[in-house]
Amino acid sequence: MKVTYNWLKDFVDIRISPRELADKLTMAGLEVAASEAKKGDFIFEIEVTSNRPDCLSVVGIAREVAAITGKKLKIATSCKLQATRKNLQPVACGLQPFSIKIEDNNDCPLYIARIIKDVKVGPSPDWLKERLELIGCRSVNSVVDITNYILFSWGEPLHAFDLDKLQSREIIVRRAQKGEKIITIDGEQRILTPDILVIADKEKPIAIAGIMGGEDTEVTENTKNILLEAAVFNSLIIRRERQRLGLQSESAYRFERGIDLGIVNKASFEAAKLIQGVAGGKPVIVKHSGSLSIKRQSIKLELSNVEKLLGVDIGRDKIKRILNNLGLKTKTKSRNDFKFEVPSHRADVSSEIDLIEEIARISGYENIPKSSPAVSPQVGIAQMRDMVSLTKNILVGLGLNEVITYSFVDKELLKAFGIQCASDTIEIANPLNREQRILRPNLIPSLASCISYNLNQKQEYINIFEIAKVFSPSSQQENENLALGIAICGVKSLLLEQGLIKDAAGFLHLKGILEVLFKRLGISDYSFTMDDTRGMAVSINREKIGLINRLGRESLDHLDIKNKDVFVLELSLDRLLAFANLRRQFKGLPKYPGISRDISVVLKEDIAIDAILKAMRDKGLELLKEVEVVDYYKGKQIPSGFRGLTISCLYRSDERTLTEAEVNPVHALVCRVLIDRFRAQIR
Amino acid sequence: MSSMDIEVIKNEIDSAIQNINSALALEAFKVKYLGRKGIIAQLTGLIPTLSLDKRVTYGQQVNNLKNKLLSIIDEKQKKLNIPTLQPNGQTKAIDIDLPGVAQDLGRLHPITQVMDEICTIFVRMGFSVVEGPEIETEYNNFTGLNIPLEHPSRDVFDTFYLKLGVRSQEPGVKASQLPTPNSKLLLRSHTSPVQIRVMKSRKPPLAVVVPGRVYRPDATDASHSFMFHQVEGFMVDKDIKFSDLKGVLEILAKNIFGQDIKMRFRPHFFPFTEPSAEVDISCIICKGKGCSVCGRKGWLEILGSGMIHPNVFKNVGYDPKKYTGFAFGMGVERIAMLKYGIDDIRLFFENDLRFLKQF
Repeated sequence: MKVTYNWLKDFVDIRISPRELADKLTMAGLEVAASEAKKGDFIFEIEVTSNRPDCLSVVGIAREVAAITGKKLKIATSCKLQATRKNLQPVACGLQPFSIKIEDNNDCPLYIARIIKDVKVGPSPDWLKERLELIGCRSVNSVVDITNYILFSWGEPLHAFDLDKLQSREIIVRRAQKGEKIITIDGEQRILTPDILVIADKEKPIAIAGIMGGEDTEVTENTKNILLEAAVFNSLIIRRERQRLGLQSESAYRFERGIDLGIVNKASFEAAKLIQGVAGGKPVIVKHSGSLSIKRQSIKLELSNVEKLLGVDIGRDKIKRILNNLGLKTKTKSRNDFKFEVPSHRADVSSEIDLIEEIARISGYENIPKSSPAVSPQVGIAQMRDMVSLTKNILVGLGLNEVITYSFVDKELLKAFGIQCASDTIEIANPLNREQRILRPNLIPSLASCISYNLNQKQEYINIFEIAKVFSPSSQQENENLALGIAICGVKSLLLEQGLIKDAAGFLHLKGILEVLFKRLGISDYSFTMDDTRGMAVSINREKIGLINRLGRESLDHLDIKNKDVFVLELSLDRLLAFANLRRQFKGLPKYPGISRDISVVLKEDIAIDAILKAMRDKGLELLKEVEVVDYYKGKQIPSGFRGLTISCLYRSDERTLTEAEVNPVHALVCRVLIDRFRAQIR
Repeated sequence: MSSMDIEVIKNEIDSAIQNINSALALEAFKVKYLGRKGIIAQLTGLIPTLSLDKRVTYGQQVNNLKNKLLSIIDEKQKKLNIPTLQPNGQTKAIDIDLPGVAQDLGRLHPITQVMDEICTIFVRMGFSVVEGPEIETEYNNFTGLNIPLEHPSRDVFDTFYLKLGVRSQEPGVKASQLPTPNSKLLLRSHTSPVQIRVMKSRKPPLAVVVPGRVYRPDATDASHSFMFHQVEGFMVDKDIKFSDLKGVLEILAKNIFGQDIKMRFRPHFFPFTEPSAEVDISCIICKGKGCSVCGRKGWLEILGSGMIHPNVFKNVGYDPKKYTGFAFGMGVERIAMLKYGIDDIRLFFENDLRFLKQF
């Protein structure tokens, strides 16, 4: 909403500079978003919140200025205009009688029509042109300019029809018939539907109610007699019309937010007066349909509630003065409370809290002190968020970078990842575009897209993870679950003293990441097993919680990833964290030194390492404390279908220092099991 | 070569060592005397030319000289604070100018970092962190929060609706209790529905912060994204005042943007709070003088807040005469952009590693 400093001064005495005024308005809730000095005036662009349609006018803002600065408004309340005497009959004025017919009062609670005779429509006087131009409104002709001027001044949208172009002397406010057409003053033909309200004569619509008039009945330089409409239309209907027609206007903007019933007649009167003055017309008839009387609400304010809520004592007199200056009349007063009557333009004020807000706003938020609330300590439940945070930190410590990708994905992308959209996904009813239509059931497609993006930026090694919700329709449980996704791609280069080491991303990296994560989270019973052809299943306590995979050709092609392998992992974080156990019990450090023995063997490659280590552990009894694979080789010296492993065994006793003589027979047994059970060749 | 020469060299060493003030000069000194073709090597080389009886004493003298050199070099090294890179007398030098060897550390996304920072400030003040689902009911997202049925924010232009019916098991609210127009499911357009969830399941006193993802159908540009993050907070008890809101939010702003920033509370309108306030901080770029970042105003809007509307209390079954409370909410991307000087919101979701690794 744009207003100018001088325009405001028409309605209120202002003794402060434009800059000061802008600050004061901002701090009273009418944020001056921009201001500009122009042509000896000062333009303010004010952001009016949706609860204050009364401030979509110069008068409305002047009221605020008056309340903030404690000055009086300069508005005459009289609506009497000599020539509008009701005893002036149409016939006596040389005009045919006319009537207003409203089909549904709910659509249009009030319609006032004024007829002004013998106008001479021409260019507007300079003062009028300039004012409108300052706030960005183009000048058309004197009558149209005056309707706009009154709209901006009083906040009541008006429309002037060329009376002689009407096909009947009856104004009908009705719903449009399906397929009815109108050419609006912007020259566009509009096809109407029954949820659109129109102003019509006997024949056809002459205006789309509250939004825009028709071209046929537009006021031009040739117009002699005009019908000036001032009405109130149902705000919901106007909003729907605007959305349906994709047509916004200053009128629609105001009707949608709500019009003050108390201002309609005044605005119509002021417009008629101006037309008389500027275009020389003669107001002859005024007719209305609907009720002009307004019910005013009274609200009780308990004085103690003001301090209770704001934390500052504003004082009884000041409270009363602030509300009175805002146009609220004191109806009753007692020691502890007041009763105020709300003026018609403040439909937003309907309960005590609204009064307290007005008091806080005008007395200034800056005058409310700062205090510290007493917070009662609350025992937080063991929080999921803390566990997620720990998980993120472990992954970051392992060198992974956290990404945040959109929760929406494209059907085509999902298809390239083998996900069918029909049954396993949730669709957005009003997506922004086709690409963002599905709530993702899985993080992998988004992570893979992210890998593709970074490959295009010439990144050599990309290792990323995301923890976010994934969505799938479910009748039993929530439609959303927390998932962890990891994706790695490329070659990591490590420059050591002995030279460059290249480490290409692979399955084992993802496995290693999970092993560290599980260990840190106190999860010991986990396993990685081949899952059909799809990859490696990740299970905890024999429950499958995720899958490690290498992206297939179709996925890579879709993302235009060439000559690179992408390894991905997704698991249910909800399930994973359900198994987490952060409790720890200290185990005493070894008191005696251990003896370590390495053994190198050649084994068939389909023998699982886990099985070998378990068999060794079983044989080693309580002396064998640690068994681990420390080297691995395939190649020239090893026949195909076999692999070489070096396994390190640590023997230790908790009671004494072991001797070679004690260890040797045990180690021999441990080695024996490799030969006997797994047909290992000792090297 | 005589013992005289050795005495001369000794004196030379004593004076030369005085003038050495750098690692480089010390290295040169070391090479001159102890190098492969250095003076000690030359002196040692002479031993075979000497008569047998002289060899012993001469050899001892050279050895003493060498020891002296080693000890004064060592002493100087300590004085100059040069790390000894050659323990055990190894002669191979390490190329200390090579890049260090370490496992690279990954990074948390800057949004996570800022969100954690905000939450931590409130946790230190005694708030607890609660999260909620991203798929919400119309009741929790709007109706419960005193947002009327015809409010524009319910438009399909401002909220994403889902092609899904209402869940049969709605925590806290039975589907049958929902007023009829609330059967639609949507993606929450703010974190405020968690207020309704928490208040329906717990009794005051409450001090809660809610971080999370939210969605609004805004066309994407440098400052808009259809998905972003918010941190919401609220406090409810018997005696919570607007002045408490001011006090708490000042602690937040000063912790995030520095102790010397100024703050102001401007009246605003939100359906779920009254009185409502928008909170500005003095522009962190121009310190309030006015620049392009703050639109020459000297102030930057960082959050919305207010006293929880009595109607919200009624909706969750609290007595508005008994309890008061405040609530606030902020966009995490906006805070992060201001804090780090990021000029395009899309960078957060592109996840370019060169961007992520800056934080």
